[in-house]
Amino acid sequence: MLGMEQVDHYDLLEIPRNATMADIERAYRLSQQTYGEGSLALYSIFESGEAAAIQERLDEAYKILSDPESRAVYDEDQPLPDAPASLRPWVDARSQEVSPAASPNEVATSSPDDDVEPYDAFEDEGGGDFDGIRLRRARLFRGYEIDEIADVTKVSRTHLRNIEDENFVDLPADVYVRGFVAAYATAIGLDPKIVVPSYMARVQESRSGNQRGRFLGRA
Amino acid sequence: MRKANETVTTASTDPTIPPHRPAPANGGARLLAVGSGKGGVGKTFVTANLATALARLGKRVVVVDVDLDAANLHTFLGVPSPRRSLAEFVSEREEDLGKLLVDTPLPNLKLIGATHGNLADAQPSHLRRVRLVRGLRQLDADFVILDLGAGAHASVLDYFLVSDDGILVLQPEPTSVENAYSFLRAAFYRRMRLAMVGHGVRRLVTLAMDQRNERGIRTPLDLLREIEATDSAEAKRFVETMRVFRPKLIVNGARTAEDVKLGFAVRSVCKKYFGIDAEYLGYVNYDEEARRSVSRRRPIVDSNSDADVSIYLQRIARKLIGLPTTGTGATGDRVSAPIGRGSLGSALQRTSSSRPGDIGC
Repeated sequence: MLGMEQVDHYDLLEIPRNATMADIERAYRLSQQTYGEGSLALYSIFESGEAAAIQERLDEAYKILSDPESRAVYDEDQPLPDAPASLRPWVDARSQEVSPAASPNEVATSSPDDDVEPYDAFEDEGGGDFDGIRLRRARLFRGYEIDEIADVTKVSRTHLRNIEDENFVDLPADVYVRGFVAAYATAIGLDPKIVVPSYMARVQESRSGNQRGRFLGRA
Repeated sequence: MRKANETVTTASTDPTIPPHRPAPANGGARLLAVGSGKGGVGKTFVTANLATALARLGKRVVVVDVDLDAANLHTFLGVPSPRRSLAEFVSEREEDLGKLLVDTPLPNLKLIGATHGNLADAQPSHLRRVRLVRGLRQLDADFVILDLGAGAHASVLDYFLVSDDGILVLQPEPTSVENAYSFLRAAFYRRMRLAMVGHGVRRLVTLAMDQRNERGIRTPLDLLREIEATDSAEAKRFVETMRVFRPKLIVNGARTAEDVKLGFAVRSVCKKYFGIDAEYLGYVNYDEEARRSVSRRRPIVDSNSDADVSIYLQRIARKLIGLPTTGTGATGDRVSAPIGRGSLGSALQRTSSSRPGDIGC
């Protein structure tokens, strides 16, 4: 589409300039779904060639921004966000508020910003109690495969599945589970400080119940 | 959310559409318009329930059925066909809109119906629409919510554009998405044409409204390029008008996570196609209970506020007035409540077990 080739990588992915890697991953995933073949959202508005061109640009933006080195080079070369009038509508007001010199490694706030990712914000605001269902739901809504979580966290798929299914009997000792859940929570953008205690409480409750059961059984 | 402090100088000559919709500084009612490109997507259902949810939050709400051709908002609210209706105002038999207000079974919620109209002259004239909007803003209420007719008739677009919040309801199906874009396209170009001062540029916008125009202007950005080449001041005005045109989206009848994501996808497409920031207010899940509530002629938010569908609707209402979307006051933590109970939660779990991680991407 005319003009798309001049759109800033950040605006293209609809993320602020200080987006974290997780923000970039999330935005890219969502954009792949939006501009992918057969996407309902494209119906009657973008022709397939235009959608493919947008996808190509998104791939390029992701390739550059997902690599810290190429991102740093890109940020260096970026003009100040005082773009010509024709590009103004594409420039996100939020990205203008962020200094272009902001470090890409700067950690965004841990709670999801309503504007950046309202999807997450109104699906899971990260507070309260966490169980396996809620963890899985958070993962699914963020579009992550369990294999990808396994790759990132180096925790086996079986353990991850058991965490989601609350199959506590087949999970290893608490000290390991604690680490697994923390890694899982971090990978899907949740705060491990909130997730781990509430999940571990469930694990411990279940285990103490099981032990009692076994003891009574033997008696 | 409404941007009360945004100011844009435009040159609308249409008194129905102010240069920018200012926040009612005099404490007048906030005007919401609920439209849909297509009939049958649940627009009136959403309107009736949002109004109910706002009323339950203690807001004084007036719902107005401006769908004079197919009025049925009163039925959704359990009000017998009102004797007094907007038709009185349209036909100039009544000037005081306050006298057309009808009580509903719900405290805080009043209705101006659209029954008993003159079928020979269903749509109000332009001047009448201007007076209507002025009158509505002066009603003694916190919110006035307009239930628009389906389609993209000029009068429908005007109500949508003049409101403080224009809300578009769509369903996750191609026909609805197609008509939602048609609606947005029509609203967008109408808004832009009104914002332009020069006749030449206005003509250009009119030309762009024809998708097969000879200049090859296909998208709003194409149009902007053409305007820039003609008049940079007009181009600036065009861009500023784009910035404040922020329609809100609701996806109704969501059954899967993919349906939920449609709102974000449409928002993204709006940004890339129109260059506008649409806001995704939220989704309402598909629920047979919702259909039954219509048969019972009682908003589900009122009859069963704990139903999943009610939770989603109340969440949208809270978002509209800037309250946290969790904790509707009914059952505490709303974030995790629907999972596993509602059809959407079940759908996610089904998807999860059949193809791990695949949520229809």
